[in-house]
Amino acid sequence: MDADPRHYEHVLLGNDEIHSVVLSYLVHNCFGETVESFTSCTGLKLPANCLEDMEKRKRIFHFAIEGKALKAIEMTEELSRDLLEKNTDLHFELLSLHYVDLVSSRKCTEALEFAQSKLAPFGKVEKYVKKLEDFMALLAYEEPEKSPMFHLLSLEYRQHVADSLNRAILVHVNLSSHSAMERLIQQTAVVRQCLNQEQGKDALSSFSLQDFLKS
Amino acid sequence: MGGVEDENGPATKRMKLSPGVLRGLIDGLSSVEFVPNSLGDLMARPLAIEGDDEVVGSKGVIRKVELVRIITEALYSLGYKKSGAFLEEESGIPLHSAVVNKLIQQVLDGLWDESVATLRKICLLDKNIVKLASFLILEQKFFEFLDEDKVMDALKTLRSEITPLSINIARVHELSLSIVSPTKCAYVGSSNQSGTKEKSRSMLLEELQKLLPPTVMIPERRLEHLLEQTLILQRDACIFHNSEDKGMSLYKDHQCGRDQIPCRTLQVLQAHTDEVWFLQFSHNGKYLASSSSDCSAIIWEVDSHGELCLKHKLLGHQKPVSSVSWSPDDSELLTCGNEENVRRWSVPSGECLHVYEKAGNGFVSCGWFPNGKRMCFGTNDKTICMWDLEGKELDCWKGQRTLKISDLEVTKDGKQILSICREGAILLLDREAKVERFIEEDQTITSFSLSKDNKYVLVNLLTQEIHLWNIQGEIKLVEKYKGHKRTRFVIRSCLGGLDQAFVASGSEDSQVYIWHRGSGELIEALAGHSGAVNCVAWNPTNFHMLASASDDRTIRIWGLNDAKIKQKGPAIHCNGVHYCNGRA
Repeated sequence: MDADPRHYEHVLLGNDEIHSVVLSYLVHNCFGETVESFTSCTGLKLPANCLEDMEKRKRIFHFAIEGKALKAIEMTEELSRDLLEKNTDLHFELLSLHYVDLVSSRKCTEALEFAQSKLAPFGKVEKYVKKLEDFMALLAYEEPEKSPMFHLLSLEYRQHVADSLNRAILVHVNLSSHSAMERLIQQTAVVRQCLNQEQGKDALSSFSLQDFLKS
Repeated sequence: MGGVEDENGPATKRMKLSPGVLRGLIDGLSSVEFVPNSLGDLMARPLAIEGDDEVVGSKGVIRKVELVRIITEALYSLGYKKSGAFLEEESGIPLHSAVVNKLIQQVLDGLWDESVATLRKICLLDKNIVKLASFLILEQKFFEFLDEDKVMDALKTLRSEITPLSINIARVHELSLSIVSPTKCAYVGSSNQSGTKEKSRSMLLEELQKLLPPTVMIPERRLEHLLEQTLILQRDACIFHNSEDKGMSLYKDHQCGRDQIPCRTLQVLQAHTDEVWFLQFSHNGKYLASSSSDCSAIIWEVDSHGELCLKHKLLGHQKPVSSVSWSPDDSELLTCGNEENVRRWSVPSGECLHVYEKAGNGFVSCGWFPNGKRMCFGTNDKTICMWDLEGKELDCWKGQRTLKISDLEVTKDGKQILSICREGAILLLDREAKVERFIEEDQTITSFSLSKDNKYVLVNLLTQEIHLWNIQGEIKLVEKYKGHKRTRFVIRSCLGGLDQAFVASGSEDSQVYIWHRGSGELIEALAGHSGAVNCVAWNPTNFHMLASASDDRTIRIWGLNDAKIKQKGPAIHCNGVHYCNGRA
């Protein structure tokens, strides 16, 4: 059973609501110029410092994605001194980005020294030991890209860390860690899934976002 | 050989080769080195000594080469280096081939790369073993670098030598971790502050030896191990083995005689005025408690000569006393009246400390928890309950249980309670895990007893069979014992003797039966009583003392055939009657 599209007509949406959803998405992802033109077109007001904050976040995010973790850390600490202290997982991940960068550039000695000075202290806490082991394992291979830990060198990993950092900063300035758009889509998917299950549909026809968007 | 000539010794058949012959041997081989003190200088081939298939021993199953080699190894293990070397020379059978000797030396000297290379030359090894062994050696190399703070060298070893072996990936990762977190890793030759390089290298050798096939490197102390095996087999086969001090000797096969089993009545204790139903020794073997249908229980004391005399008569029950139970520290005794109350007595004074009753119900069995502060009672309303010493009921388990006849035992760790719960089943209740297990029999169970190590349960059946069950893990039947008679009454049996290697049981034909537990063989049927023997108990600290309780109102104490009975003065305090000769 798919919802009858005519039912949608009963849901009233104001322009403001839709605009704010779009805006939150743009701000979350630091599309500075787009935000400017969007706000001027729609007449929405931005909170003070929003553009500046976005700019900073954008730079931090890009440093992280490019693997320039030390720069990212430096800027984050300028933004807020205790953010990384409070998010030790994130801190570890950022440091690991730099380490991974050294490993990929085959700077083994530097990587080792960096690991010894910056990463090893995390090893005192039980939950980091396994992660530390995984990263250190990269050094055991002359071609780390071919090791079982190759995923740690990948773009996906860097993106994951950059995303986490972005969200942490947003939370820090009291914004939501997820954009409204994201949340809405996620919620829709979950609700559809539940409905499917309740209606006794077999697992094969579980909700697919792609299909929904195409329809 | 250029060995030392023993001019003074008797002429021995020593193989002397002139240098010319030696050279001839060598020229004929494509060998690489000549190690001067070893005759069999055959490098990468298995030791092809003349007469390799020669056997010794009457059954033709012992290969001479193997025998000599393990003797040589034994000599070295015992520290007789010279003798070991001499035997190698005299027999012409080297302990290890030269290549293995080289490997051993290289490992002890820490020449890692060379030892890995030598490994490859030992042709009896398959590729996997070579890799595993190389891994162990390189690990040692890695850790020795770390110990010396040569971190980059260690890393290089890891990257270029260890990882390429492509085995033990998880271990490789642990090694990488240990570069930055040294404490997280334990390794074969783990040298701590007090350890030395020599020690850790010897440990590495031991590990290598376990890895390599025994033909290449003989396991250490192999001869010792073989001899131990034999001695233990002999001991297990000895069905009369009941004394600690009968040490085992290598000089002759171990076989105890019957004289180790109690078989002679040493004392007849006549103090009860009716059938004696139950008896049990205290845990320390210093006391015996007996209970009777004359509504009393008696505590007997065992003196230093092994004689018993009456210490206290415990009166108070109005019904026959069906069982007794010693507290874990032997200071108190519980007696259970048949479907009546349970009384707690002080052993030193004999006074009744407490009477436990449950309104409207009677108790049928009792037991202690290991901390001595809680007790367990079986009630005739099909429940098992736990009480504290003051008389407060703490817990209760309902279940299916038969009435009257019911034994109850608690394991030493306090975790399990065993009780007969149906005609043909014993319940093992795990209190904490709330798990119930069962011993199931096709026949009705009349009584059971738990072994000292709590791993086995001896079950008496209606059909005149006694079954031994293993209750660790999966419950399974281990052995059956037959021969005694049981038709109408409850007959009890128990385990006893050294390592509880024997099963003893009463019987309606008035005899005491003893079987060897492991083999199930009936060893003795002791006559003497003139009524059914209801219960037997083996002294837990004196394996030569057995007690039996009978319908003839007496208790008999059995001991060894050659036990000397010291004549005491007038037996004022004792109610025991002494017998000197034979059986009465």
